[in-house]
Amino acid sequence: MQFSNSQIFTDHLPKIDTVDLKPISKQYLKIIAFNKLILFGILFSALFALKQLIEEDGFQDNFQYVILFAIGFCILNLIVSLLAFKKRKYAIREHDVVYAKGLIINYLTTVPIIRIQHVEVSRSWLERRLALASLKIYSAGESGSDMKISGLSVGEAKQINDFISAKING
Amino acid sequence: MDNVDFSQPMRQSSKGILVIFGFNLFQFFKKFFVALLAIGFSLMRKKSLMGVTTTTISLFFVGLLIIILVVAILKYLNFKFHLTKNDFHLSRGIINKDNTIIPKSKIQNVYIKQNFLQQIINVVSVNIETAGDKKSEIEISALDRPTALLLKDKLFNKDSINLQQVDEQPIQPSQVYFKISMKRLLLAGLSQNHLRSFGIIAAFVIGLYYQFRDFIENLNLSDQVEDFITLDEAMIANLLLTNLIILFFVLLISVLFSIVKLIIVNFNLQVIEHQKTVEINKGLFNKVSLILTPSRIQNLIIKTNRVKRYFGLHTLYVKQTMVNQKQQKNFNIIALERPQVDYLIEKLIDNYSFNGDRYKPRPYYMRILALRMLIFTSAINLLATLFFGYEALWANCIVVPIATLFVYISYKKAYYIISEDFVTLGSGFVDTVTNILEIHKIQAVKLRQSIFQKRRKIASVIIFTASKSVTIPYVNESEAKSIYDYLLFRVESQANDWM
Repeated sequence: MQFSNSQIFTDHLPKIDTVDLKPISKQYLKIIAFNKLILFGILFSALFALKQLIEEDGFQDNFQYVILFAIGFCILNLIVSLLAFKKRKYAIREHDVVYAKGLIINYLTTVPIIRIQHVEVSRSWLERRLALASLKIYSAGESGSDMKISGLSVGEAKQINDFISAKING
Repeated sequence: MDNVDFSQPMRQSSKGILVIFGFNLFQFFKKFFVALLAIGFSLMRKKSLMGVTTTTISLFFVGLLIIILVVAILKYLNFKFHLTKNDFHLSRGIINKDNTIIPKSKIQNVYIKQNFLQQIINVVSVNIETAGDKKSEIEISALDRPTALLLKDKLFNKDSINLQQVDEQPIQPSQVYFKISMKRLLLAGLSQNHLRSFGIIAAFVIGLYYQFRDFIENLNLSDQVEDFITLDEAMIANLLLTNLIILFFVLLISVLFSIVKLIIVNFNLQVIEHQKTVEINKGLFNKVSLILTPSRIQNLIIKTNRVKRYFGLHTLYVKQTMVNQKQQKNFNIIALERPQVDYLIEKLIDNYSFNGDRYKPRPYYMRILALRMLIFTSAINLLATLFFGYEALWANCIVVPIATLFVYISYKKAYYIISEDFVTLGSGFVDTVTNILEIHKIQAVKLRQSIFQKRRKIASVIIFTASKSVTIPYVNESEAKSIYDYLLFRVESQANDWM
C-alpha cells in the first residue's frame, strides 16, 4: 500500500458551502399546490363522511371546531410547503450530485457519482403537462440515500441524466 | 465420494422428498394456522362443522397430506442440476419449467445449512448466492455432506486457483480460531438484555389473550373465579401475592426463554479462519455456516455491556452486503474476548485502529435526548392514568430516574473518531455500542439540520453504506460541514470500489 499521510480537515478540500445550489423550476409550485389540493380534498371529504356516519352528540356538536382545526392545519401545511419550496435546490459537481430540501428539518444530501448504480428520468401526467421531469438517482446505499430531484425542466433532467450515465459507464 | 460426477444432470438425494414434504407441510400450517385453530375449536364444541362430520374432515386432511406429498415428489423429480466447465445449470418446476444457468464467476457465496429435519435424516442443504436480486438465491435442499462439500469446492474452484496465482504465497491451512465453551455460552445468555424477551413474551401472551378472548370468556372462568373470591382483607393480600408470583414467573420464563434461544442459535459456535475469509458455524437445530468476506463487509458493530465486559464477553456484528435479510441476523459472533475482537477486526478490515482523536457531540444532544424522554414519559403517564387511574403515577418514581440516567449515559457514551480511512462511532445506553465503517465504502452523505439547530449552528451528519446508515449526532455546523467535505473528498478522490 502506498503511504500517504495527508492532513485531515485540511482547508483546501472542496467545500460544500461554496457550492452554488440552483433552485428548481417555479412551475413545480403548481404541482405542489395540486397535490395539496387533492390531500385537503380527501381530508375534508373524510371529515364530512364521518359527520354522516357518527351520530353521537359529542361529535356532532363539536363538528365546527373539528372543521376549524382542519382548516387551520391545511393553511399551516400549505404555508410550510410553499416556503419549503424555496429550500429545494440542487447542484451537479464534477464528482457528485447535491440536493437540499426541507424547511423545518433541512437535509443536504450528496451522492458521489462513482457510487451511483443507475439514474432514471420519470414524468408523471402532471409533469408532462408542465414540461417538467423528476430525476431519480439510485445508489447501493440504504433506501434513505436514494435521491429524487423533482421539478426539473425536461431538458435539464435529460442533460443531467446523460452526464451521469456517461460518467458511470465510462 | 470423490467420484461424484457433476457433469451429468443429477437429482438430489432421494431423502430430498422428505425435506421438501416437511417444508411444504410447515409452510401450509404456517399459512392456515389461524383457520385451522378456528376449525379445531368449532369441532370441539359442536362435533361438526356446517353439517360436515369429523370423519369427512379427517379424510379431507389425509387427502391434503397426500396432495402435498405428491407435489413434493414431483418437485423432487423435476429438480436436476449439473456443472459444466464454467456454469452451474439447474432445471426445476412442475408445470412452469425453470432453467437457471449461473456462471461460476458470478457466484458470491455458497453455504451449507442443516435444519432439524435435515439433521435427523442426515442430509444438508446447499445455498448458492449470486450478486443480484434477493430472490434469485438457489437452494438444493438435500445432499449428503461429502457430496455437498465437493459441490461447494467445485463451485468455488476457479476462484481459489486465481487467488493462488495472484498471491504466490503458501496457503495458510484453515484453522479454528475460536470455539465457544458451554460455560461462556451460558454466561453470554445470562448477561444479555432480558427486557427484549420479556417484551416478546408479554406481547405473545397479550396477543393470545385477545385472539382467544371470546373462547376464554365462553369457559365462564370469571363466574367461577367470582365464586371463589369474596373480598376481605386477607384475600386482597393474597391477590397481591398471586400477582407478584405471576410477575416473577413471567420474568423467570423470559430470562429462561432468552437464554435458551441464545444457546440454540449459537450452539457449538466456531470461527474458522481461512486465507482471506472467516467462516462461522453455529446452531443446534438449524446449523448454519456463513462466510465473512472482507470486501463485502460494510459495517462492523461491537456490543458489550457492563456485566458482559466484566466477564470479557463482546459480540461482533458484521453487516455484509448481498446477504438476504433472513440470513443477516446470523452474522454475529458472541462471547469474544477483547483481544479476539481486535484480532477479527484486523482480519476483516485492513489496518484498522481505535486510535484517533475522540470528539463528542455538543451538549445540545443531551437536550434532544431529554426532550425525547420527556415526550416518552408524558405519553406513558397519560396512558397509565387513563387505564389505571392516578395511582399509576407512582410508577414515575422508577421511570423518571431511568429516563434521567438514559440521557446522561447516552450522552456520556456518545463519541466519534474520524481517521484517515475509518469512521468510528460510539453510542448506547445499557449496551456499549461501537460502530466501525470504512470511508471508501460510503454510498452517500447527508447533513440534517432543523430550523432550531440552524440558529445554534448545530447539525448532524448521516453516513450511508450499503447495509446501514449511521449518524454523527449534533456537532458544530462548521465541524459537520468539514466532516462532510472530508468524507466526500476521500470517497471521490480514491475511486476505490466499494465491493
